[in-house]
Amino acid sequence: MTDRLTEPLHPVARELRPPEGGLRSYPPVERWDGWEEYDPVAWPQKVKRRYSLIPTICFNCEAGCGLLAYVDQATLKIQKFEGNPVHPGSRGRNCAKGPATLNQVTDPERILYPLRRVGPRGGGKWERVTWYQALDDIAGRIRAALVEGRQKEVMYHLGRPGHELVYLQRVFHAWGIDGHNSHTNVCSASARAGYAFWHGMDRPSPDHANARFILLLSSHLETGHYFNPHAQRIMEAKARGAKVAVLDTRLSNTASMADWWLAPWPGSESAVLLAMAHVLVREKLYDRDFVRKWVNWDEYLRAERPELPVTFEAFDQALDELYARFTPEFAEAESGVAASTIVEVAREIGRAGSALATHVWRNTAAGNLGGWQVARALELVVVLMGAVGTPGGTAPNAWNKAIPAPPMMPPPGKIWSELLMPREYPLAFFEMSFLLPHFLKEGRGKLAMYFTRVYNPVWTNPDGMSWIEMLTDERKVERHACLTPIWSETAWFADYVLPMGHASERHDLMSQETHAARWIGFRQPVLRVALEKAGKRFDLTWQAHEAAGLGQVWEEDEFWIELSWRIDPDGALGVRKYFESPYRAGEKLRIEELYRWIFENSVPGLPEAAARERLSPLEYMRKYGAFLVEDQVYRTHEQALSAKDLDGATVDPVSHVVQKGGQAIGVEIDGRRHIGFPTPSRKLEFFSGTLKAWKWPEQAVPNYIRSHVHWSNLDRARGEMVLLPTFRLPTLIHTRSGNAKWLYEISHTNPLWMHPTDAERTGVATGDLLKVATRIGHFVDRVWVTEAVRPGVVACSHHLGRWRLHEDVGGERWSTSLVDLTQPEPGKWRMRQVHGPRPFTSDDPDSERVWWEDGGVHQNLTFPVQPDPVSGQHCWHQKVTVSRPGPDDRYGDVFVDTNRSFEVYREWLGLARPAPGPGNLRRPLWLPRAFKPDASAYRLDGA
Amino acid sequence: MRYGFVIDQRRCIGCHACTVACKEENRVPLGAFRTWVKYVERGTFPQTRRYFSVLRCNHCDDAPCVTICPTVALYRRPDGIVDFDGARCIGCKSCMQACPYDALYIDPDTRTAAKCNYCAHRIEVGLEPACVIVCPEQAIIAGDLDDPRSTIARIVDREPVQVRKAEQGTRPKVFYVGADASALSPELQAPASHYLWAERPREEVDLVKMVAEAQRGDGPGTHTLSQPVYDVPHQVRPWGSKVSAYLWTKSIAAGVLLVAALAGSSGWGSLLGVAAPSLSLIFLALTTALLIFDLKRADRFAFILLKPNWRSWLVRGAWILMAFGVVGVVWLFGGLTDRPDLVSVAFVPAILLALATAGYSAFLFGQAEGRDFWQSPVVLPHLIVAALIAGSAALLLATLVWPGSVMVAGRHVANAGDTLGALMVLSLIVNAGLLAVELGTRHPVRDVAKAARLITRGGYRTRFWGGVVFGGIALPIALVMADFALTLWPLSHLAAVLALAGLWLWEELWVRAGQSVPLS
Repeated sequence: MTDRLTEPLHPVARELRPPEGGLRSYPPVERWDGWEEYDPVAWPQKVKRRYSLIPTICFNCEAGCGLLAYVDQATLKIQKFEGNPVHPGSRGRNCAKGPATLNQVTDPERILYPLRRVGPRGGGKWERVTWYQALDDIAGRIRAALVEGRQKEVMYHLGRPGHELVYLQRVFHAWGIDGHNSHTNVCSASARAGYAFWHGMDRPSPDHANARFILLLSSHLETGHYFNPHAQRIMEAKARGAKVAVLDTRLSNTASMADWWLAPWPGSESAVLLAMAHVLVREKLYDRDFVRKWVNWDEYLRAERPELPVTFEAFDQALDELYARFTPEFAEAESGVAASTIVEVAREIGRAGSALATHVWRNTAAGNLGGWQVARALELVVVLMGAVGTPGGTAPNAWNKAIPAPPMMPPPGKIWSELLMPREYPLAFFEMSFLLPHFLKEGRGKLAMYFTRVYNPVWTNPDGMSWIEMLTDERKVERHACLTPIWSETAWFADYVLPMGHASERHDLMSQETHAARWIGFRQPVLRVALEKAGKRFDLTWQAHEAAGLGQVWEEDEFWIELSWRIDPDGALGVRKYFESPYRAGEKLRIEELYRWIFENSVPGLPEAAARERLSPLEYMRKYGAFLVEDQVYRTHEQALSAKDLDGATVDPVSHVVQKGGQAIGVEIDGRRHIGFPTPSRKLEFFSGTLKAWKWPEQAVPNYIRSHVHWSNLDRARGEMVLLPTFRLPTLIHTRSGNAKWLYEISHTNPLWMHPTDAERTGVATGDLLKVATRIGHFVDRVWVTEAVRPGVVACSHHLGRWRLHEDVGGERWSTSLVDLTQPEPGKWRMRQVHGPRPFTSDDPDSERVWWEDGGVHQNLTFPVQPDPVSGQHCWHQKVTVSRPGPDDRYGDVFVDTNRSFEVYREWLGLARPAPGPGNLRRPLWLPRAFKPDASAYRLDGA
Repeated sequence: MRYGFVIDQRRCIGCHACTVACKEENRVPLGAFRTWVKYVERGTFPQTRRYFSVLRCNHCDDAPCVTICPTVALYRRPDGIVDFDGARCIGCKSCMQACPYDALYIDPDTRTAAKCNYCAHRIEVGLEPACVIVCPEQAIIAGDLDDPRSTIARIVDREPVQVRKAEQGTRPKVFYVGADASALSPELQAPASHYLWAERPREEVDLVKMVAEAQRGDGPGTHTLSQPVYDVPHQVRPWGSKVSAYLWTKSIAAGVLLVAALAGSSGWGSLLGVAAPSLSLIFLALTTALLIFDLKRADRFAFILLKPNWRSWLVRGAWILMAFGVVGVVWLFGGLTDRPDLVSVAFVPAILLALATAGYSAFLFGQAEGRDFWQSPVVLPHLIVAALIAGSAALLLATLVWPGSVMVAGRHVANAGDTLGALMVLSLIVNAGLLAVELGTRHPVRDVAKAARLITRGGYRTRFWGGVVFGGIALPIALVMADFALTLWPLSHLAAVLALAGLWLWEELWVRAGQSVPLS
């Protein structure tokens, strides 16, 4: 071969001196204010560029990973986003969606100014208005509703992420409304319910990094809460020798990396998990001491087995009896997973002891009727192993979060919106958001002011055509303002499209349970920060953006302050005072004052850490963008009650619950008083008295509920199959990433995964079309024949199939197909693709290079609503009939009959067991609820 | 100092963060990738597995792209990084043919070649490449392979590492740990028409299907192969008809002077003195034009001369062509001014330079090390024979205008047409033999066998058997023979046209087939 010595040398290479010392990953923090590096495009010509490195938080998934924006000091353009090395959750690393943030902020398709519709809603004509015009109109309508006692007609419907929790609660409680709606019931309601009935907190926080065994009913090596931070720690554990098992009907990337891939029939997961519990109990592999101390077994015995003595030995026996029928063979019959594999995994779990990290969030819980019992069953395995809050175990999430209090929390309103939390679903987690069109159709109310924020129900929710019918009916939704960084199918049906900032264009506080620690991350508008560092001052972020050439893109924090002042200009409604500066009496709160106050007063350790660097707490957070509040957080439930807590407290002689002022504040175990868990028993509730009292006695303990798509309901010879429509891709995030060209270039189709045996039966090969019929319509997609899915099941990723109704406006042309939407008769909707994504002209030369022609197929439109009667979760999986398409069917076709969807809604509504529960309550007082109203509003006769 | 990468596929979760971070850092346009992730799947439910591989420039210590690059736009730095300078690139795409790893692309904005350059601009300020720092799993490790204390050196020393296409002898510096062999080797992958969440561009699908159809009944069935389920788009066949046409025009340019010089002593009058050099110069000009217009940066064609890499056969070839042109001009001048002494002075240099002109492409295509099919030892003799065919055929046709049968000093000289016809037949027979050797023998290298089968049994078989073999060899031979036997003018001329057409078709098929087997 060639001889290196005689190789030609470029002039640059001849001059090259090897760098001294090794390479580092990030520029040193002390040089972030003026970091110099070379222009990559001009290279090897050395063109120096000077940047301000300003930390912020990614806006794509919910993980809240740190980003470091490189703001070019000469042009004020963001050159790139890297990871923020001081962020405790993401540790400087990101998934593909982190760097793709650059696409989102430089997207030539983005909305830069507030828009108001002209002509009919959904007609697609828009005019530019000022922020003040929009604010005045919206504030006037809200004020009128508040003054006229129509508080329930103001609703804010939130996607994700950021600007949540107490910060938003503060706004709506100040207005005195019960108006917060969310996306939770199309996402995680069942997992939340399952966890909350166990320990009062509605999420798991696995300590993957220290686990010996990791059991995932999720795909955390590619998606999910919290993909990147969790994936880092899962693989860290794996590299150290931890074993990983994944339960997933289709082969996810995660399952592919696992030591065991268990591919059960959808919805049979709790049978598998209870069989594992069965093995652990029968083979005495479980942590009996932990269970004796921390599980409310005595309550179970008293309520369900009164004939037995209240001793742990009796419970041990009762537990064995309770799960006796869940043999591995039974689980195999239900799930298709080999009994031997179930036993093998159970024994591995037994060996792992309390270092068992587990997770379920959407996946099967979100797909199946009774999915919340999957979370209950999974947590049962954790509890049996004593792995709650242990190193390598699974903690309740709240212990690993830090939510600093803002100034002045208003008291909750004495109001309960039945459009959010109807009496049919007293245990729902939380708002029955996806039923809203049906509620309004039934005449349960109307909305005077409806906000959607980074939320796209027309596309994301089941039965989107009913959403279009609702949104286009101005008697039901009088005013609709869409707060969004990008066009969406829902924004098309708004009265106002209000451009809100992306990751680097807004303030926010984030804190996520990424590992056994507590941290906060600070999202900030980096262009404003850069300009202010250069000595400029702005009242509002949109003004800074205007100065930086980013239109009038704004941020919610300031929007709410301005709106609230306009709702109550003279302070007479008692709203304004919550939006006044804590530093300048009577003056309007400035955004930096809000965060300054929080950082000075609500983050333990931050003022001291800042002082060590001679910075104010706000300056510290502006510089670093994150702060580790507490590390190595374990066994929080064991914390002793303080003497102050115990002053005036009593201990219930039977339950040993420590009571104070009518509230349970802890529990006495073996003579010691611990804070325990925020449940009625202050213990882990194997037996949920709440479920029993609220009409679900047969589900009071972890149990197996056969799914609505159980295999026994299928006639496979007639083409009946289960559609698994929920899985995500590593590169996309719901409908927020349609503006990221680099992500769409990687992933843009969602073919129907089908096992070769099913493909053979149906007579199709990869690339052929298939028609998938649900109870309310059908869609036509291509088939992807693969060994990566269980026979009898078809699977389709939920990200793709975005559409727009106009060639040039209303949808990101990187990702949407142009469609023709018609309504041949009332309630019957037909959608046909005119063309897929294709090259277009814009300021970005890349738009001429769009090489993909397929944007996927929108399946969610064809799904009827299927609310789980307990959790309120939309049960995503569909029983479908899969057939070869007819001569008139084309790729991407969608047909929906909304009259049918209303009928299906009524059917599922019939499964509910409505309030009142004990005490004539709408909902158990102890159970978590977002933006909890005043206790008086819980009484059905009270509000 | 030698920078390299370790890619730990035991840790890689196939998330594409490296792909996107690289695009962001280096402003890589849509449709092009400096690093990408491939997925393959294997096994039957529920024993199915998906394997990932992160693919990119291998920063070879013996980098074929550097050797072939005519203008030192690609170069190996003393620290081992193979970097590029778009400002020197003429867009000849030869690097794309030289690289066995599919690492290069043409940037649509600058129309110059680009690839992973190890984020050399970051190395300059002491920072790791963008893909390294973004990776959630720290599965990409950058560092100095020569420093025994470095993490990368310790991994390469202690772990079982793999490289892509070790047999290419390029000494790659991207080392894989725990990679699935089939994820690194395209020959172990079944042809795919779709991916699990992306389209495969139509021209790629058409190509892989065509190659796959040609292989039916040979080697292991597709069921033993892994199924590629995700890949990025790759540029299909960087060299097209201009390159095959260049081979053909060059054969004529070289061939007419070669044949004329070899026959020179017999004296063919204006056919020898004017027609041959004129034809040669015209086709030489065409050759040059094709070469220049195939450049993505035709405006920079002079860089070949001004910023030369003397090891590149593109540069050497350019000088050969120029020298050959000078000889042609001298010859023509002699012919036009009726100075046979000048013409005969040109004979020996003309023969040598015609051979070089015809043959240097064998070394150029030989430097295209990514394309195994072009590495054959038969290429050089074929090009020489092709020049003889093209030269004799072209001159044969020229006799229509400049009759070769002339009286010199009252003496009847041999009929030029007959001589040329005979030479053409002989050359065609030799060429047939060479084709039989090229395509008929069993090839140990899989990609060569695949390309050969594509020609003889696959999508090109009709054009090959009908156009090249029958129309371009057998029929012309028969026609010339018939002409000899029956003296049926213009059968020989028809034969010459067919031979030339057959030759052109062969070059077309050879250039296409050589680029048909995917590199990654």
